[in-house]
Amino acid sequence: MKKFWALFFIFWPIVALYVCLVAPSRNWWFPSAPMSSVGHQIDGLFYLILIIVAVTFVGTQVGLGYALWKGATKKSGEKAVFSHGSHKLEIMWTIVPSFVLVFISLTQLEVLANIRVLARFPDEARKTPVAEVTARQFEWRIRYPKPGTQLSTEPQEGDLYFVNELHVPVSQPVMVHLRTQDVQHAFFAPKLRVKQDAVPGLVIPIWFEIEKAGEYELVCAELCGWGHYKMKARIIAESEESYLKYLAALETDQNEDGVADEAASASDEE
Amino acid sequence: MSLTPSWNRFLLLPMLTAVVAGGCSEYNSSFVYSERTTSLIPEAQDGFKGESEAAPAISGVKQLVDDRFGNPQDLKAWLKLPVEFGGTQSAVAEYSAVEGVATVKFSVEEGKSLPETASSVHVVSGALAGETLLISNWDATTGQATLEGLPSKEISAGDSCVIDGGTVMQSGRVLYMRHCSHCHGTSGDGAGPTAQYLNPRPRDYRHGIFKFTSTTDVSKASRQDIKRVLQYGIPGTYMPSFLLLTDSEINSLVEYVRFLSLRGEYERKLVNELAGDFSQKAVATRTEGGESREAIVSELKEMLAADIVDAANSIGDGMAEDWSVSDTAEAVIVPTVARVPDSPESRRRGRELYLSKTLNCADCHGVDGAGNGPQTIAYEKNPITGEPYNEAGLHDVWDNLNQPRNLHRGIYRGGRRPIDLFARIHAGIKGSRMPSFKNTPHEDIWHVVNYVLSIPFEPEPGATGVAVAAPPAAAAVAP
Repeated sequence: MKKFWALFFIFWPIVALYVCLVAPSRNWWFPSAPMSSVGHQIDGLFYLILIIVAVTFVGTQVGLGYALWKGATKKSGEKAVFSHGSHKLEIMWTIVPSFVLVFISLTQLEVLANIRVLARFPDEARKTPVAEVTARQFEWRIRYPKPGTQLSTEPQEGDLYFVNELHVPVSQPVMVHLRTQDVQHAFFAPKLRVKQDAVPGLVIPIWFEIEKAGEYELVCAELCGWGHYKMKARIIAESEESYLKYLAALETDQNEDGVADEAASASDEE
Repeated sequence: MSLTPSWNRFLLLPMLTAVVAGGCSEYNSSFVYSERTTSLIPEAQDGFKGESEAAPAISGVKQLVDDRFGNPQDLKAWLKLPVEFGGTQSAVAEYSAVEGVATVKFSVEEGKSLPETASSVHVVSGALAGETLLISNWDATTGQATLEGLPSKEISAGDSCVIDGGTVMQSGRVLYMRHCSHCHGTSGDGAGPTAQYLNPRPRDYRHGIFKFTSTTDVSKASRQDIKRVLQYGIPGTYMPSFLLLTDSEINSLVEYVRFLSLRGEYERKLVNELAGDFSQKAVATRTEGGESREAIVSELKEMLAADIVDAANSIGDGMAEDWSVSDTAEAVIVPTVARVPDSPESRRRGRELYLSKTLNCADCHGVDGAGNGPQTIAYEKNPITGEPYNEAGLHDVWDNLNQPRNLHRGIYRGGRRPIDLFARIHAGIKGSRMPSFKNTPHEDIWHVVNYVLSIPFEPEPGATGVAVAAPPAAAAVAP
C-alpha cells in the first residue's frame, strides 16, 4: 500500500507533462487559434505561464514521489533522521518564486499596455473609432458615426444604428467605444481574445485587429441577469470595400421613407 | 419541536424520494383562460353536460376555444385562420398493402409541390380520419411513401391528408417556450413569471393588437411587422433583439405568435357575446331585478346551443379576413409623397403643426416634446368599467399607464426610419392613446417627422446659441 501511494503521486506529474506537451497542438486550451493580432501575444503569455507552472508542478511532484518512494522502501529497522529546517533551502524557495513572479509581471506589462493603455493603441485605430457598442439587458446596440464623420460620445444626427451585429474592416486595427445602459456587462469575443467589462457611466475604448475575414461570436462575460446566456451578437470582419458598402446600405435603410421603392420599381418598368 | 439527528435520518429518504419522483414527472403546460372568461357564470364557461342522446352536451366558452386551438401539448390547427401551421395538404392517389408492407402514393394540388422529406402523415378524411401514420421511406419525386407497419383500417384513394402537419407550429412552440414565454406567458397573456418586474409590461397578445406596425390604423399587424420586432427588438423596453435566430426560426415564431394572438382574440370576442347578459355581475343584477336564475340559465343554454355556434363561425371568418388582409400590400401605409427634405423650414413647419389645434401633439407630448403634456396629469376613466383610474395619466387598452414619449431621448420604439415615424403618426400606435392622423396631408406628416427627428439635437431650453456665436476657426482647431 505504501508503494501504491508513492507510485500514485509519481503518476500525476507524468499525466500533467503529457497534457502540457500535447494540448497546444490539439487546441485544448482555446476555442480556436487566435484571430487577432493581440490574441497571439495573449496566447504567448498563457503558454509562458503554463510552462513555468508545469515545470514547478512536475518538479514538486517528482520531489514528493521521491520522498514517498524512499519512505515506502525503507527497511523496517532503519531509524528516521530528524531535521529542523534549513535556512539555505528556505531562502531558496522564497527567492526563486519571487523572481519568477516578478519575471511574469514584467513580461506581461507590455501586452497589458498594448490592450489597455489608450496611448499605446495603434494610431489609426485611436483616431477613428468605428462604432459605439452599448450593452443592454440582453442585447448589444451598435451606433456607427454618420459615414464621413467622427464618432462622438453623444448621438449625432445621421448616426447609423443596428443591433447585435457589428461590422468592422478586416486586417486593420479598429477601436470601438464600449458602454452600458444598465448593469455591468462584458464584451467578450473568445476567438479574438478580447474581453472588457462595460461599466455604467464609463466609455471604455477597446481595440483589436481581426486577421481573417469572417463571422466572430460576441458574448457577454459578466453575469448580468437572467438573460445573460443569450446575450449574443456577431462581429463581422470584412474587406474595407464591403464594409463601406454595408454602411452605405445601412444609411439607405435608415433613411427609408416608404416611397423610394415604388419609384425604383416604376423606373425598372420603363 | 426540535428534530434529533436520528429523526433527520429517517426523514431524508422520503424527502429524497419525493424530490426525485416529483422532479421527473411530466410537466403539462396549458393555456389559461382570460379573466373576462372566468368572470362569466360557471355554466357559460363550462357549458352543459349531455344527459341523453336527445339532450347532447353543449359547449361553453372554454370548450369552444379548446376545440379550435387546443393546448400547448395538443395544438389544434383551425385551417380557416391565416396561420402557417406547417405541412403539405395532399390526397391519397393509390394505396396497396402487400405482404405486410403498406405503400401509399400521395398527390398534391396542381401548382403545389411535395415536401423534400416526410416522416408522418395525418389523415383528415376517410376510414382512418384523425389518425397519424409514420412514414419509414419517402420518395419525394414520385410521392411514394412506405408506412411503418400496417394501418388498422384501409386507406382509400381520395382520402385527404396532411404530410408532416404542424411542423411550423411545433418548432414555433419550442422556441416560444424557450425565448418568449417567461415574459409573454404560455398563453401570450403578457403575464409570464418575469413579467411582473418589467416596466413597460410585456405585450398581452390576446387583444389581437400589436403597437408598432406598418399597416393602416384599422389593420392588424402584418407578419413582417412581427418579424421586425423579433429581429430588432424594441429599444426603450425590455424586448431584446433575436437577430441571431435563423430566418426559419423567426418565421415559425411569428406564426406561433399569430396563433396565440388569434386564440386570445377569438376567446375575447366569444366572451363579448355573452358578457352583457351572463357575467356573474350581470346575472346578479338580473336576479335582483326579479328574474329567476333557472330562467337565465335556460336562456343561456339556448343561446350556447344555437346562436353562439353561428357567432363563433362568423368571429372566425372575421378574424381570418382581418388578419389575411393585413398581411397584404394593400394594408401597408405608403406615403403619397416622398419625404420632404429635412430643412430648417420643414422643421419649423413641423413644429407649427405639432403645436397646432388640429394635430395637438403638445396636449400629450408637451410643448417642448418632453412627454409631459397636460393630458399626463389628467385623471382618465376606464372606458370599459367607467371607473376613474387610480393614477393620473393616459392608459392603453391593456390598462397600463401609457407615458407619451419623451421625444428628446432619441429612442424610437417602433423604429427610427422616417417611414416608421410616418406610420406611427398616420396609423397611430394601436392599443395606445396615440391616435391616427390619417386625414392629415402626407406632406404635413413629413414636416412633423422632420421636426420630431430633430428634437433630440435641439439645444437645451434656455440655452443660447453658443454654436452660432463661436468663431468658426475654433471648431477647426478642436481635436
